[in-house]
Formats: sequence, structure tokens, C-alpha cells
Amino acid sequence: MIMTQLYVVESADFLFLQHQLQMTPGNLSSHLSKLEKAGYVEIVKEFIERKPHTALKLTKKGSSAFKEYQRNLKQVFNDLPK
Amino acid sequence: MNVKTSLREVERRTYMSYHQDGLLDIFVGVYVLLFALGILLMTMTEFSTWFVIPAIFPAIMGPIWISAKKRITMPRIGYVKFGTRGANKLMAIFIGLAAAGLGVFMLFGFGASMGQGWALTLRNLIIPSGMIIIGILAAAISSLFAYTMGLNRLYAYGLLALVLLLAGHFAIIPFAYSLLTIGLTITINGFVLLIGFIRKYPLSQGDETNVEKSL
Repeated sequence: MIMTQLYVVESADFLFLQHQLQMTPGNLSSHLSKLEKAGYVEIVKEFIERKPHTALKLTKKGSSAFKEYQRNLKQVFNDLPK
Repeated sequence: MNVKTSLREVERRTYMSYHQDGLLDIFVGVYVLLFALGILLMTMTEFSTWFVIPAIFPAIMGPIWISAKKRITMPRIGYVKFGTRGANKLMAIFIGLAAAGLGVFMLFGFGASMGQGWALTLRNLIIPSGMIIIGILAAAISSLFAYTMGLNRLYAYGLLALVLLLAGHFAIIPFAYSLLTIGLTITINGFVLLIGFIRKYPLSQGDETNVEKSL
């Protein structure tokens, strides 16, 4: 779901994802770390009005992996007997 | 499963969550109220430059809107940057509507100034049914934005405008009073949404920030 959420926006911060996905901070953080390690999510530390801000966005690799996942998922459903 | 539809739904929900704070409603409502007050001012005091008030409103309210989003919405539900696709679509609608309005206005103005029969006939048809036409236009424009932005309450605002302006036309209620009712209803609804939003999303206690720092 993190990937889906990030796929439909340009970037979002931690709090926004947490509210959208109804996840605890620890759980979300752990998933994001794994996604970052896999190179799917980029964590951008920036300052907005002199306040630290963490923006999260899908990398190109993450975006193509998500599209691939979409195709595979579609295939699974298409292959199911009617 | 239709993957595209589901993604569109996620996109719609994300967009909606960002506008559930009621700020959009408050600003639209106040804008309509200013129009109504401007018309009332004009009829009462013959202050003919009333239209300046709603004309400068977007310029004044733009920075206030951004500041309100930063102070109220973002600390509560976080920050999201939407892609340019949605913004481009909205901009295209704005430009399209403005161009269509200007085109009709110029064509009509030109025809009327040249004493063209069709323009005069049209004017005689439009003026007595002005409230009906404005009601239909308001409903159509609201529905267009509701569809594009995925904000269903804009359909309700469009319907409200249509019903109140039609009622105003048939019950011979002055246009400004109908506008006042529409603006007031939208503004009050905006404040109700804002209070609900603030209650639903209290300011975070810092847990997220600490975890966020560890990323």
C-alpha cells in the first residue's frame, strides 16, 4: 500500500502516509527502511520554512517495480478460471 | 479487478483527504458572500465599483489560503505534493471556462453595440431569466470541478445554487439574497468541516517526528 500511495503522488511526508495508511509510526518506519534498502523509495531530507521535513518519493526503480507488480497481479486475475 | 480504477480511487481519496479541512469551502463561501454584499452595496449606496472587492479577493486570499494550509492542514495530516497532471487538468478547465466566458461576453457585447437584432433578442431573453441561467451555470461548473477534483460535496453546492436561484427567480427574491444564502451555507459548512477536521486530527505529539528522524 505504501508503494500504491506514493505512486499516485509526487511526494508525501511521513505523517501523511501514516494517516492515509492507518499505520503506526514504528510499523511505517520499518516498511520504509526496507523499501529504501531495496532502492524503491527515496527519502529526501529538506527544510521547509526552516523546519526539518522528510519527503518520501518513489524512485524510478520503485516505479517500474510497481508497474511490474500491477502487470503480474492483472495476469493472476486473468488466469483464474471463470 | 480494474487496476486503473483502483489507482484512480486511491488518487481520489488522497486528494479528498487534503481537502477535508473545509478551507476550500470557507474560501468559496466567502467569495460568494462578497459578491452578494457587493451587489447589495451597489443597490443601497450606488457604489458602482463594488466588483473590485471580489476581483481582488483571489490576490489577497491566495497567500492566506497557503498560510492556512501550512498552519492548519499540514501539521495535522502531513504534507503531500501532487503531480502536475491534476493541476494541469484544473488549469485547463479554468482557462477553458474563462476563454468561453470572455468569448461569449465579447460576441454579445459586440453584437449589442452594433445594434444587431439577434443580440438584442438574446439580451431580452437573458435578462429576465438571469437567475435561472446563473443557477444552471453554477450547477454545471460545480459539477465539472466536483468530477475533476473528486470532491462530491461540490455537486451538492451546485445543486444548492440551482435550487436557490430557481426558487429566487420564481418567488421573486432579489438575486443578492439568494447569493447570500448560498455563500452563507457554503461558509458554515466549511467551518463545520474545519472543526470536525481539527477534532479528528489533533496536532501530533512528536512520536512521528522521532521515528521520522530515525529514517
